[in-house]
Amino acid sequence: MSLIERIDTGDDIIVCENVKKWFDEFQALRGISLRVRRGEVLVIIGPSGSGKSTFIRTINRLEEHQEGRIVVDGIELSHDVRNIAAVRSEIGMVFQQFNLFPHLTVMQNLTLAPIWVRRWPQAKAEAKAMELLERVGIPEQASKYPGQLSGGQQQRVAIARALAMEPRIMLFDEPTSALDPEMIKEVLDVMQELAHTGITMVVVTHEMGFAREVADRICFFDFGLLVEVGPPEQFFRNPKHERTKLFLSQILSQ
Amino acid sequence: MNLAHTGRLADPPGGSERPGLLPGGQAPPMERPPRGETGAYAWLRHNLFSSSFNAGLTLVLVVLFGWVAAVVLRWAVLEANWGVILKNWRVILWGLYPRQEIWRPTASLLLVLLLSVLTWFVWRRPEMRRWRTPILVAWVVSPLVIGLLLRGFELPTLRTISNNIGYYLFRPDLLPAVNAMWRGPTALFLIAAVASTTWVLDSRRSVRALAVAPVVLIGLLNLPSALRATGGVPPALAVLLAAVTGWLVGRSIGRLLSWTEHGRRLVKWLWLASLIACLLVLTHFPVGRPEFDPAQILTSVQPSLWSGILLTLILATVTAVLSFPLGVLLALGRTSRLPVIRASCVAVIEVVRGVPLITILFMAQVMLPMFLPLDLSIDRVLRAIAGMTIFTAAYLAEVIRGGLQAVPREQVEAARALGLSELLVTSLVVLPQALRLVIPAIMGQLVSMFKDTTLVAIIGLLELLGILSSITKQREFLGTVREVYLLAAAFYFVVCYAMSVASRRAEVRLGVGTR
Repeated sequence: MSLIERIDTGDDIIVCENVKKWFDEFQALRGISLRVRRGEVLVIIGPSGSGKSTFIRTINRLEEHQEGRIVVDGIELSHDVRNIAAVRSEIGMVFQQFNLFPHLTVMQNLTLAPIWVRRWPQAKAEAKAMELLERVGIPEQASKYPGQLSGGQQQRVAIARALAMEPRIMLFDEPTSALDPEMIKEVLDVMQELAHTGITMVVVTHEMGFAREVADRICFFDFGLLVEVGPPEQFFRNPKHERTKLFLSQILSQ
Repeated sequence: MNLAHTGRLADPPGGSERPGLLPGGQAPPMERPPRGETGAYAWLRHNLFSSSFNAGLTLVLVVLFGWVAAVVLRWAVLEANWGVILKNWRVILWGLYPRQEIWRPTASLLLVLLLSVLTWFVWRRPEMRRWRTPILVAWVVSPLVIGLLLRGFELPTLRTISNNIGYYLFRPDLLPAVNAMWRGPTALFLIAAVASTTWVLDSRRSVRALAVAPVVLIGLLNLPSALRATGGVPPALAVLLAAVTGWLVGRSIGRLLSWTEHGRRLVKWLWLASLIACLLVLTHFPVGRPEFDPAQILTSVQPSLWSGILLTLILATVTAVLSFPLGVLLALGRTSRLPVIRASCVAVIEVVRGVPLITILFMAQVMLPMFLPLDLSIDRVLRAIAGMTIFTAAYLAEVIRGGLQAVPREQVEAARALGLSELLVTSLVVLPQALRLVIPAIMGQLVSMFKDTTLVAIIGLLELLGILSSITKQREFLGTVREVYLLAAAFYFVVCYAMSVASRRAEVRLGVGTR
C-alpha cells in the first residue's frame, strides 16, 4: 500500500469539502462540508430524501461524488481503484436491510473479507469472528445461515461482519429501520457498546433516544444541504434553524 | 368435507373447552390434526375411481397398457435378435478405436468415474471443504489429460528444438514451406504479454529491463521473416500487431493481478509457462532432417477413429466442461458496464442463438479452418466440439444472465463495502448466488446438449447413433433396426434421467429455498 499518497488531515479522520452529487438532473447533495474527528460518534438525521443516506454512501464510494473532495484517514477518494480499495477496507458499513450473504453461513459471512482481502489464515479469521459474535451476543448461531435468524440477530451479525475487517470507521445506514419494534433495542445496545470503544461512527438514524444519549454531534440534513450541526444538548434544546425546529417538533411529538 | 362438520368448527361445544393459556402463562400442548382418509384404498378411490366415468377410464387405460406391454414383451423375448448388441458391444462402446489401444479410452472413462465419485464424496462432507478446490481444478484439467491420452502425443526432443531453432534463425526462407509464419508472431505475442504484466506489477528498473529483453530478442528473431516481401498481408504487419496486442493484453492482466497480493509471485510462473509455450510453438514443426524426430510418447490415434459411445461421451463432457465457463464469461460480459465488451457478447450470443445447431456444425467444419493457420489443421471431432461448445455456451449465457439479474444490487454493495475487489465481488458473492438460482435451467441445457450430440452423425462422425445405424447394415444382422434403436433410446434416457436426478439433488443440497 506504499503507492497510496496520504494527506495529513490532523485529528480529523473524515474530511468532506463541498461534496456535490447528482442523480441525472436531481441534485442529491448540494455542497456538504463536514469534518469528523477520530473516535467521534456523529449522528445524521433528517427527513427522507434529504440526502443523508447518499452522503454516507459517498464516504466509502458506494456512490461517486461529482464535485468536491472526500479524504478518509488521509486517503483521497479519487478514480484510482487502489485508493477506493484502501478506503473501503478501513470503513465498515451496516445497511438498513442487513445485506448478509444468504449463501454463506454466519461464520463464512464474517470471515469472507478478512480471508480474501486481508489475507488472514482461516484459523485467525475464525477466532476473530467468534470473538465478535460473542461481543454481539450470538456465538451459538455461527454455523447457521442468515435466513434462519431473526431480523435483530441478522443485523447484529451484519455489525460483526463489518467489524471483522477491524475498521477505523463504522457507517450505519438506518440500521434499525427494517426491524420489528422488539428487536430494535438489542441492536441499539450493541451500537452503544461499540461507541464506547473509541471507534469513529457515522450513524444515519431516526432513533432520537440513541442520538441524544450516544452522539457527540448531531447533523441535520435537508434538501441535500447540511442545515445544522451541534452537540445533542444544544441541538435538541435550542436549534437554530426554523427547519430543524419544525422537523424536531414533528418527530418528537410522535 | 360435509356441512355438518364445518358447522361444528364455527361453533365450539361449550365455553369450558375454549382453548386458553395454561395456569402459569404457558402455551397449551398442541392438538393432533384431524385424521384424514389415508391408506392405499383411499388413494385408489380418490384418484382412480372417484366417479363411474373415471372408473371406466381407468379400466380402459389398464387394458391398453397391458396390451402394449404384452406386445413389447413378446417381441423382446421371442422375436428380437439381441445378438446384434451382444456381438457388437465393443464396437458400440469404443467404435473404431484400435483394439490394442483400448486401455486408453478405458483409463479415461475410469478417470472420469473416479473424479465423479470423489466429487460426490467430498461435496457430501462439509469437513472436507478444502478438497473442493483441487477437485474443481482436476475437473478443469481432465479434458486436456483425456484428450492427450486418447489422441496420443509427442514431445520435441532437445535435438528437434535446437534443429528447428537453427532453421528459424538462419533459414527463414524454409518457414513458408511449412506454413509456419504464424509461429513467430504468436511467440512474440506471448512474451510481450508476460513482459508487460511484469512491467505493470514491478516498478524496479532492473526487473523491467529483464522483462523487456526477451521481447526485443524475439522481435529480432522475427525480423528476417517480417522483412520478406510477400503477395498477401505483409508479415511485418502481423509481427507489429502481435507485439502491440500482446503488450496491451499483458497490461490489463497486470492491472487485474495488482488487486491480489500474490500477483508478483505469479509472475515467475507466467514467465515459465510462456517460455515453455514459446518453445513448443517455435520448435514443434517438421523442418530439419527426418532423423530429428520428436519423441513419441503415446502412438497417435487420429480423432477420426474416435466413435461409438466413446465419442458421444467425449462430445458431451468436453462440450459441457468448456461451454460452462464460456457461458459464465459471456453472461458476465453481457452484464458488463464496458460498452465494447457488452456489445460483442450480445452479438455472439444473439448470432449463435439465431442459427440452428446443424448450421453451426457445418460452419464449424468449413469455416473454422479459414481463421486458422494453414498448417494447423484441426480435426473434425474438435471442430464439432467447437461448434457445440459455442452453441451451448450462448444458451447457458442467457440462463446465467437471468440468475445474475436475480441477485439483488444490495449484495454487490455489501460486498464492495467490505473492501472486496470487483473480481472477488463477482466470484464470491454474485456468481455463487446466481448459479444456485439457475441450476435446473443449466442442467436442462446440458441435457438437451447431450441429446444434440446425435446431430454430429450428419457431418459424418460415428457417435453412438452413427455406429448403431452402421451396425444394422452388417449382413448377419440385417433388419435388426428395432433392437438397435431401442438400445439407443434406453441409453439416452438413462443418462438424461440420471442428469436430471443429479440436478434435483444438487438443488436441494445447495439449499436454493433457504434464503
